[in-house]
Amino acid sequence: MKLRKSILLLASVAVLIVSATAAATASASPAWKFNGTELTGKETIVGAAISSSLTIPGVTTECKHFLYNMKISNNAEKKGTGEITELPLFECTTQTKTCTVASIEAKKLPWPTHLVTVAGKNYLVVEKVEVEIDYAGELCAFSESPVILKGSAGGVVENSTQTAEFNKTTFTATGTQLKVGATSVEWKGLFPTEGFEVHREQELTVG
Amino acid sequence: MMALFGALLALGVSSSALAHSGEFSKFNFCPSTNTEVKKCLLSKTVGGTIILGKKTTPIVNEVTLQGGYGKPNSETHISKFYEATNGITLSKTPQPVPGGLLGIVPPESSPPLVKLLSKFFFENSITGVNATLELAKPASEIQISEFNLLVEEGLALKLPVKVRLENPFLGSSCYVGSSSNPLIWNLTTGETSPPEPNKPIKGTSGLLEGKEEDEIVALIGNELVENAWAAPEATGCGGILSFLVDPVINSVLGLPAKAGLNTSILKNNLDVASAAAVNAH
Repeated sequence: MKLRKSILLLASVAVLIVSATAAATASASPAWKFNGTELTGKETIVGAAISSSLTIPGVTTECKHFLYNMKISNNAEKKGTGEITELPLFECTTQTKTCTVASIEAKKLPWPTHLVTVAGKNYLVVEKVEVEIDYAGELCAFSESPVILKGSAGGVVENSTQTAEFNKTTFTATGTQLKVGATSVEWKGLFPTEGFEVHREQELTVG
Repeated sequence: MMALFGALLALGVSSSALAHSGEFSKFNFCPSTNTEVKKCLLSKTVGGTIILGKKTTPIVNEVTLQGGYGKPNSETHISKFYEATNGITLSKTPQPVPGGLLGIVPPESSPPLVKLLSKFFFENSITGVNATLELAKPASEIQISEFNLLVEEGLALKLPVKVRLENPFLGSSCYVGSSSNPLIWNLTTGETSPPEPNKPIKGTSGLLEGKEEDEIVALIGNELVENAWAAPEATGCGGILSFLVDPVINSVLGLPAKAGLNTSILKNNLDVASAAAVNAH
């Protein structure tokens, strides 16, 4: 009887350990690395979107120049964090003749970022995103009042190509969402990740 | 005779409406040719609830709000509203009050005449009561913020209204609220912060969609809420006997009802187009 109790206790402990390990894997936070070495101190990543589009149902906005400036570091727990400090957007258009983009601006910068691993893939999550778009055009129903887009965005980080890609799948994986009011907005974007200061021209990976 | 009738009809239509085509025909009564008007609005309230004092009335019959609005103030984002060209900015759509007069039974302390009249209408099955929302002020007193409507914060629509209670017993002039003392609904798609006993409630902008090459924007499932408004006493109920009937109605409805006791929830589908787009169709 005593032996049976001990086996049950051991089994319970084993289950607890396995559960804890699984949870740790699911919520693991990778670190920023340059040439395979974990980043110490800070670095700035600067880049321009290879492609990007933003779709509010009925209106898709694309910007020819979508730049970003992100400060990155690893915190005390060796988790990759950062903040987007600049996000200039230029030469933006819509797919319709009706609406033009009078202005588009990232608001309330900096936006905090962090790395997270979900189901074996590494993601960059951007929080507190806020973008204001002013559409124009005499016939454009979206004109006169700015459209404010808010929320968070998660993009998958590919070490092989040194890029971060944002799309519907990566938003779902990270549980992130961008919205105009109650309406979900689809953001597709492919961004290169490259060190700009002391780690310039070094391979940037996360893991 | 028919030709004359046709000509008169045509004249009547041309003086109040422009016949726009296709999807834009819904904006036929927008004052789109007024150069101050930048946008045209058609809002259909398809559901919701009005809690006035102790009485809850669901919105079961569609209510229309239509007209135009101007360029928003750059700081407040609020636009001035312009009346619909047919004069029907807010449709007078009766909503049946659940329970009708069954719920409006004079208290024991009521004068015998009131009890007698009430008994008569009750016994003759004339117990149904309709509540109709009406504008209490000119349409120019309406305020709208397209920006706040979308961001789900602050004032989205300000409506000065009065509620007409209709029933043979109540007569044709039984109102809660008036042009001099309207019910002011500061409706929001965000969260309210009412005085007690009401609790905060949240509206929603609804789902946004560009249509007709983005010349029309639709908000489907929009919900405007307000539960911090006060309601004055009912007046004019019972015709010449209003001095006797008003107190009964007030007692039963719990009027006047201070802020925190009343609620408006309007479930809407909205369509908005620029005045220029409407004129182009």
